[in-house]
Amino acid sequence: MCYLGDTMEFLNYFDNVFTVYHIALLVGGTFAGIILGALPGLSPTMSVALLIPFTFHMKPESGLILLGAMYTATVAGGAISAILVNVPGAPANIATAMDGHKMAQSGKAKDALHYCFMSSFVGGVFGVLILIFFTPPLAALSLKFMSTELFWVAILGITIIATLDAKSVIKGLMSGLFGLMLATIGEHPTSAMERFVFTDHLEGGVHIVVGLIGLFAMPQVWNLLENFYGRKNEVFSATGDSTLVQSFRLVAGKIKALSIGSIIGSVIGIIPGAGGQIAGIVAYDQSKKVSSNRSNYGNGEPEAIIAAESANNSMVGPSLIPLLTLSIPGSPTAAVLLGGLLIHGIFPGHDIFTKNTEVVWTFIDSLIIAQILMLIIGLFLSRHSKWIMKVPDNYMAVGILLLAVFGTYSIQNDYSDVLIMFVLGTLMYFGSKAGFSPVPVVLGLILGTMTEEKFLLGNMIGNAKGSSFQHFTSGTINIVLIALCLASIVYGIYSSRKSK
Amino acid sequence: MNKPFKISTVLITLVSAFLVYASFVLGNSEDYLFPRLISGTIAVLSLMLWFEKGEADKSTNFKDLMPGIAIAAAFILSLKILGFYLASMIVFFTLVMYYSKPAEPKDFWRVLLIKLGVTIVFSLTLYALFTLLLKVRTPEGLF
Repeated sequence: MCYLGDTMEFLNYFDNVFTVYHIALLVGGTFAGIILGALPGLSPTMSVALLIPFTFHMKPESGLILLGAMYTATVAGGAISAILVNVPGAPANIATAMDGHKMAQSGKAKDALHYCFMSSFVGGVFGVLILIFFTPPLAALSLKFMSTELFWVAILGITIIATLDAKSVIKGLMSGLFGLMLATIGEHPTSAMERFVFTDHLEGGVHIVVGLIGLFAMPQVWNLLENFYGRKNEVFSATGDSTLVQSFRLVAGKIKALSIGSIIGSVIGIIPGAGGQIAGIVAYDQSKKVSSNRSNYGNGEPEAIIAAESANNSMVGPSLIPLLTLSIPGSPTAAVLLGGLLIHGIFPGHDIFTKNTEVVWTFIDSLIIAQILMLIIGLFLSRHSKWIMKVPDNYMAVGILLLAVFGTYSIQNDYSDVLIMFVLGTLMYFGSKAGFSPVPVVLGLILGTMTEEKFLLGNMIGNAKGSSFQHFTSGTINIVLIALCLASIVYGIYSSRKSK
Repeated sequence: MNKPFKISTVLITLVSAFLVYASFVLGNSEDYLFPRLISGTIAVLSLMLWFEKGEADKSTNFKDLMPGIAIAAAFILSLKILGFYLASMIVFFTLVMYYSKPAEPKDFWRVLLIKLGVTIVFSLTLYALFTLLLKVRTPEGLF
């Protein structure tokens, strides 16, 4: 019961959100997020990564409010391109495209967009409430984690993301380890000895945000240019018969689909690394099984859109639970958000609600307001969504390139960062062709320093006790974490064989 | 195993071998303990990759991609000489012109002017947003 008192504390921080400046950030972040999410190929992860440098000069709570609004809105905005072009704006919107685009083909795109934003709102608010009530007890649990446990937690995070996000488990794990290696470039965390500094440009190491931007933005630039002449998509107009009130009545009547989507999305959000793509597809599948209209699934069924969209947005809040408590992100975008937290001096863990009470609760409260704004702005923008879809790929590519260069330079006013970003991003592009994923690399880079510090500390204590190996592999929590690492690898191998 | 997959496996193995070399040969053991653990694991995984059945995802369309990379690389190398805004205008216009769907000859000048207009508006927006509003520094260049 003591946790209930802690969680109700969130009510005290709404005042911080309702300032003119923060509301302006929320409106701007939501507006830009929906547009960026709607542009095919601009993922929520990349959008949040590009935005991080712009938050440097802000107070931590302001920066996080902007990033949170962007995260929420890009996931919902991705449904616009899924419905109008049949190209999901983000992996989370794959399930939405199946029936949403069918509705667009039959002249009901506007109706589909209404269902999408309304169900996203319901799922999103549900997810944030789960975040509010589950985070403090889990944060208290993380108090039991010492150096070796935190080392294994970091390895577990990388293992889970590596095995879920890559097509090959070996390449996924290698991606995560490459990220850890990148983090070792520069000064040693304790002796300050320089390592792997083959050129002056590497003296400062690879800054987290430089890595984030390079690994997510540059591959997208090359992808847009490489396929520029081959891409042809028919864009449907946002037409339809339903008024907002009629759409609201229809969505409110689909309690079963909304509940399935919201609950499944929240559960999957808490599982580290799973993300919205899985949430949307599982919710789609489960709602189909219990629906009386199951024969209409795949042919433009509103229930399908409602289940998928409520799921992928309800995942957003819970994906921050393992992030805030254990530094393990619940989704790829949450991994990028971890970079944002660290940049603003917020270190996830048991004391996050005591050391950064105001910042964290203000951020969480802002996510609820962001859901409301996402609904209002989303419904407004959906009328003009055909225009958004028409941004040509060449303009988009050069826009991303310039923002990436600017964002990278602004971090430390260092030209070397721009070179590192460019080279890293280009290598990642070719790496992704060979089956490597940027998400585990980024997580490895973000968690690298912390992992090495905990490893060195654990090693020192273990050596003093007589055996470092025994120190790392004894104790209930260590054993459970090692077992989870192995289980995630075995599951990754099983699911990749099954998919072949 | 198709050809691109084989090539990528060879390259990954070479990178892994370099990481092992850099971790075990270049530095003293104390400071390189963690990188040695990681690079050793990478090396083991890269050997396992040789036994994995797979195909490289897609072939790369170098013909369309390489000019883009070359223009962007020239842009980045010229930042310190031209400064961010001038270099940005040039790269914006060059990339947008190079990657354009063919237009009717009679529309050539109209399309060119539109692209030039968008370039100028975009660059001015960046300047207003970054330099005037956010007061963030950008590479200044020699001019």
